[in-house]
Amino acid sequence: MLSFFRRNSSAVIIGAIGLLAGALVHQLRGPAAFRHALGNAADLFLVILPAMLAGLLLAGSLKQLVPTGVLARWMGAESGMRGLLLATVAGMAMPGGPMAAFPLVLVLAQGGADRGALIAFIVAWALNGLQRVLVWEVPLLGADFALLRFLCGLPLPFIAGVLARRVPIRWSPPGAGPA
Amino acid sequence: MTPGQILLIAVALIAFGLTLRRGLPTAQRALRETGQTVVRVLPLLALALPMAAFLAELIPADIGSGLLGPESGLTGLVIASFAGGFIPGGPFVSFPLVLTFIKAGAGGPQVVALVSGWAILGFHRVIAWEWPVLGPRFILIRLIASIALPVLAGLLAELLLPSFPHALARP
Repeated sequence: MLSFFRRNSSAVIIGAIGLLAGALVHQLRGPAAFRHALGNAADLFLVILPAMLAGLLLAGSLKQLVPTGVLARWMGAESGMRGLLLATVAGMAMPGGPMAAFPLVLVLAQGGADRGALIAFIVAWALNGLQRVLVWEVPLLGADFALLRFLCGLPLPFIAGVLARRVPIRWSPPGAGPA
Repeated sequence: MTPGQILLIAVALIAFGLTLRRGLPTAQRALRETGQTVVRVLPLLALALPMAAFLAELIPADIGSGLLGPESGLTGLVIASFAGGFIPGGPFVSFPLVLTFIKAGAGGPQVVALVSGWAILGFHRVIAWEWPVLGPRFILIRLIASIALPVLAGLLAELLLPSFPHALARP
């Protein structure tokens, strides 16, 4: 029972908030508003379903076409502006959630990628990860908004990388010798 | 179906075609990968969409149009950036919630700052993943380097918004 909750913690939390919010809507705004909200949700579901299936197929295919080992080699030895640019592109191409991204960052760090490149990679993955943009943002918020948001985010990983190189805090990756 | 969705479907079919050219086993792995994600994501989506719809009924309209409205300016961008950082969970929670703010009348640059704040600052992700894997010093460096970026994204959005008249076509 407990392990079921742990494995499905997202679903449990979302479901619980949903039930609570649904009960509040029913109580405060009446049954008509409740049905209206459910109808909205169902409409939205049907609208985004085809794009979402396509986005997931794209992510699944890309994972087969771009091996992660190549990403590590791109970033490992490079530095300078070119390193930041490569890290940004690699971060955007990186599919998967935090359970895939952060361990890879650690591997890249231990392989010699500098903090600027690592931070550019993290920001690019979190902000402009193509998989998330295509699977979630385009279907839910619309292609126009997604493109606007994407364009505004485009220079940010680069800026974060440049700034990170200037922050006067010493850091060496866990599991490696002192830098 | 919007042009964006048609484009996405076309690109997905091309990518899948490329895996087919690599041979049937590669294509099968891609399909299996896709199937596993669909099975994981669809139930979450089926729960998250009603949740977001109920919250949309409950969130007072004046938060969207006032605090984060198009007239809220730089203050609105700063509030949106940090509010975004506190949205928990993955994209299946954040995007339906963001949609409720759009429907409630939030301004385009403010929504850009909100999404960017969730992605860049995402405090739940920092605590759950970044801290254990990379350590507190790394987090400090990264947050110092990126804390102002969501606001910057919002400012860029204010410049670009005139070129995107349909950005907030409220669905």
